[in-house]
Amino acid sequence: MWERTLQDLIRGLRANKKDESKFIAQAVDEIRKEIKSKDMELKAAAVLKLIYLEMLGYDMSWAAFHVVEVMSTPKIHLKAVGYLAAAQSFGPDTDVLMLTTNLVKKDLSSSPADVAVTLNGLASIMTAELARDMSPELIAMLNHSRPHVRKRAILVMYKVLVKQPDVKDKVMPRLRERLEDADAGVVAATVNVLCELARRNPQDYLPLAPQFFRLLTTSSNNWMLIKLVKIFGSLSPLEPRLVKKLQPPITELISTTPAISLLYECVHTCIIGGMLHGSSGNSLAQLCVSKLATFLQDADQNLKYIALLALTKIVPTHPYLVAEYQDVILGSIADQDVSIRMRALDLVSAMVDRSNLQSIVQRLLDLLAKPEAPVASSAAQSLAQVAGSQITPSPLLPLQTKSYRLALAQRIISVCSESTYANVTDFEWYLSVLVDLVYVASVDVGAAIRDQLMDVVARVRGARRYAVQLMAKVLADKTLLQDPKGEDSCPDALSAAAWIAGEYCSEMPNSSQLLKYLLQPEISALSSEIIAVYLHSAAKVLGHWAAELGQSWDDAYFQDLRDKVHMITEAEKAYASSNDMEVQERAANLLGLFTFIEADLASYRPAKENGIDFDGDNSSEFSTVVAADPRYPKSLYLLQPLFTSYELNPVAADAQLRVERPEGLDLDTWIVPPPKNPVPDAVVADVEAFLKPKTKKSKKGKGKERAMGKDGNSASNGIHGEGALGTQPMESAEEAAERAKRKVERLERLRDDPYYLVDDKPPSQVPDVDAIPVVKLEGMPQTSNGPQLASLMSSRTGSTTKSFDVDREGEAPTISRPHSSQAIADSDVALSTPAEYYTVADVSSSASPVPIQVTRVKKGKATGKKKRTPKMLDNGNTTLR
Amino acid sequence: MIHAVLIFNTSGVPRLTKFYSTVHHSPQTLVQKIFSLICTRPAGLCNFLDAPELEEFLGKKQREDERLRVVYRSYATLHFVFLVDAAESELGILDLIQVFVESLDRAFENVCELDLVFHFDEVHHILAEVIQGGLVLETNLDEIDRSVKQAAQARKTSYASANPLSLGGSSMGQRSAGLQTPLGWLTGKLTGVGTI
Repeated sequence: MWERTLQDLIRGLRANKKDESKFIAQAVDEIRKEIKSKDMELKAAAVLKLIYLEMLGYDMSWAAFHVVEVMSTPKIHLKAVGYLAAAQSFGPDTDVLMLTTNLVKKDLSSSPADVAVTLNGLASIMTAELARDMSPELIAMLNHSRPHVRKRAILVMYKVLVKQPDVKDKVMPRLRERLEDADAGVVAATVNVLCELARRNPQDYLPLAPQFFRLLTTSSNNWMLIKLVKIFGSLSPLEPRLVKKLQPPITELISTTPAISLLYECVHTCIIGGMLHGSSGNSLAQLCVSKLATFLQDADQNLKYIALLALTKIVPTHPYLVAEYQDVILGSIADQDVSIRMRALDLVSAMVDRSNLQSIVQRLLDLLAKPEAPVASSAAQSLAQVAGSQITPSPLLPLQTKSYRLALAQRIISVCSESTYANVTDFEWYLSVLVDLVYVASVDVGAAIRDQLMDVVARVRGARRYAVQLMAKVLADKTLLQDPKGEDSCPDALSAAAWIAGEYCSEMPNSSQLLKYLLQPEISALSSEIIAVYLHSAAKVLGHWAAELGQSWDDAYFQDLRDKVHMITEAEKAYASSNDMEVQERAANLLGLFTFIEADLASYRPAKENGIDFDGDNSSEFSTVVAADPRYPKSLYLLQPLFTSYELNPVAADAQLRVERPEGLDLDTWIVPPPKNPVPDAVVADVEAFLKPKTKKSKKGKGKERAMGKDGNSASNGIHGEGALGTQPMESAEEAAERAKRKVERLERLRDDPYYLVDDKPPSQVPDVDAIPVVKLEGMPQTSNGPQLASLMSSRTGSTTKSFDVDREGEAPTISRPHSSQAIADSDVALSTPAEYYTVADVSSSASPVPIQVTRVKKGKATGKKKRTPKMLDNGNTTLR
Repeated sequence: MIHAVLIFNTSGVPRLTKFYSTVHHSPQTLVQKIFSLICTRPAGLCNFLDAPELEEFLGKKQREDERLRVVYRSYATLHFVFLVDAAESELGILDLIQVFVESLDRAFENVCELDLVFHFDEVHHILAEVIQGGLVLETNLDEIDRSVKQAAQARKTSYASANPLSLGGSSMGQRSAGLQTPLGWLTGKLTGVGTI
């Protein structure tokens, strides 16, 4: 007859710290017994103990039924426990919730204390069903005589409206009355609920604006004022006239309120409502900024935090006002509080423009390099320094956590690459910043740096020479190879370095040097994707260098050439047995080529022409050159055309769209006629209707493709429609087959069932699964520099810079029909693009049974007629049109 | 709205967890994560927890509007943490925490961690007078205090009528003290444990 109470349980827990799990297991056993007791007191005590254990992470869902039992007692001290347990442990899928409907109804008509407990519990366990069933009672309760109950009923209304929006028409008039309630607390609660609702669905609450406005001008309750200002923040974008009306009271609030929280909300609402435009707006903005700036230097860190938040909102429209306080703000980046630093970082990146980008980025870099260090020398100098000597990682401040460093590094990159480098005036500077980042980041931002490097170099011709020289230094630096797979370094950046060195080695005076770096033995520790790039780049460099030698051949070069070729062959041999498929394949391919070259060199006799004509059959353009002067080994020219015949350019986002449909390509005829009406047309129509907005959405998601939508030529529309349809066939075919199979099985089963009549007809026309054309994607070329190329594809629009010509638009086809050489050129480039951009990813994503139809992408492949120019668009587009 | 109210001590042991919406982490991992971030912050820093790892933890994909913010305040051995969205004002929530703690203080008379440990149901009831279903019910301290006292009184009367021999004055948790052991009753009175 001695049961543990909650207090005993807690004491026991404290006494048994060493053996807690055992103690709790024992306690739970006791609870299981007690909870079945007939004695309600005992049952409730057991439930209360369970709530405590639940907080510590033990499951109590098994006791849900007993919780309902406790809820149903008439005694309030037990009922409170029951409702507390329900609020703590019930979820939307707790099945006993449906048992509670009548119980709650009864409790709502009980004494005020019961009602309060019930309303509070109901707010936590509300479901759509409860909301539907309870709404009449709850609406009536909005007029309850006690303010306390009215408040609770109003707050519950929010949950009801969220779960069951249909009742809105009945609730709104009552809520409206409550805005005029005599009790200030009730009014505040109503404003609170309406604020939440207006955020979800502002247009429905515009009619209440006059009442809100009256409250705004008469109330002095800061808590409610904040909510009111927030409501106006949601409403004002919908009603321009409201903005005009709001301006005086808000200005009044901004200039008089001592509460920064209210000030912050006012500023926010001013910005959303566009109140800061025009001359009066400017003075208002000035007022806001000057008030906020005083908080920036406040000793209270909270005010500083809020001020930074608010300033971030003003910057986009009034950068010059905030710029006055740049020094203070930059100082906050080095604040000891990471919360402040994060907000300051946001603000600073919003402040960046062409004139201050370099100084701000330098400041951020300094933070990464050495916290609180004095502003260092220029980027170029620090680059020379880092490239020359090894930087020992400085001990981190306790607050300089890894995640913060990562955020900082990513921020530097995003600030610079904003709107296709709109703020970068000096790309050599930017390249050096990226290389600095590789050294000082100490976190893995390698992938981002890699993409940036490649993107910049591909877009900005003027920076290529500098880039190659810089990359040569990076490649030469063995310290970067010391932690080849580590999380604290950026090995991925090396992949960009190798690629740039290979692709643009013509910009380098003595490019053969690069070979040494590209083939150094240490690279074997790098990840296989990077090794593949290294190997490929080495071949590119040699190809370029060899062709250069051929231009001014001297037999003195011969030995050097032979050594270099030998060096590559040796390296390829090592990697030809790599475990990684990509590396192995590249190495094996190149090994084949270089064995060829070696053989040619071996048979070469200085000053005699007895080289084998390798080029005769595969490169007509070059065989003519070679034939003119065969004094050097002909294999010198073997490699170069493989890599440099066509320039690799960024591709415009709408390049695919500009391709005209080849004549004679009919996308509307069936390749295989559709199976006889596998699904009712209505279903198809439904699915189409469902899919269409979806495809549109995915297109919108790309953001940068907006231009395409505007283009809107008839071809694109037609094709778009087909794309939506065409994405379905694969799945539908499979589904149809599956369904047919299931039908056969079912018929088989029913055959022996005496309760079914079986017709003896053979199953009609099962679609032949094998006959369905399926796109073979495996055959697509797969290259390892895919991820890097991805960066080149992201073509963005933006303004141009003065000194550097940035290719922001990318390449797009200008011709209407594929013609021999150009077509080859294009397909050549296309082949070097990663297959994933062709992948008809969406084909498998729709599960709708629709007659078979092949997307244009496939057909283009199949006929081989379609021009493949626009290569590397993002997959969404490729498949959709 | 307010999405969660958490109270834990300086060792990260939860003293109260109240969720008003489903957060996509178990309460325990959430408490641990927030605790690990708060415990490294020295006093004097701001009361808004903002860290890159927290953004990921709470779900980064959301719009700026829906980003959850962590507002916390530390009192002696306890951290009071509120998880709120953009519909709440950060500084307002900071005040609300203060109001909540002051009402705890009034109810328990010089509240300390042990009060919260042994009367965690009471704490829930007091919180219920400040916040209901994630929305602020009342911010006026006197009003809250009155409601708390009223509700406690109702429970007390109900308890007394259900246990006629318990001599009253005791809430639900005092069941053992109610078992007619005069000594237990006396200790209860002397230590003032049951005088809520």
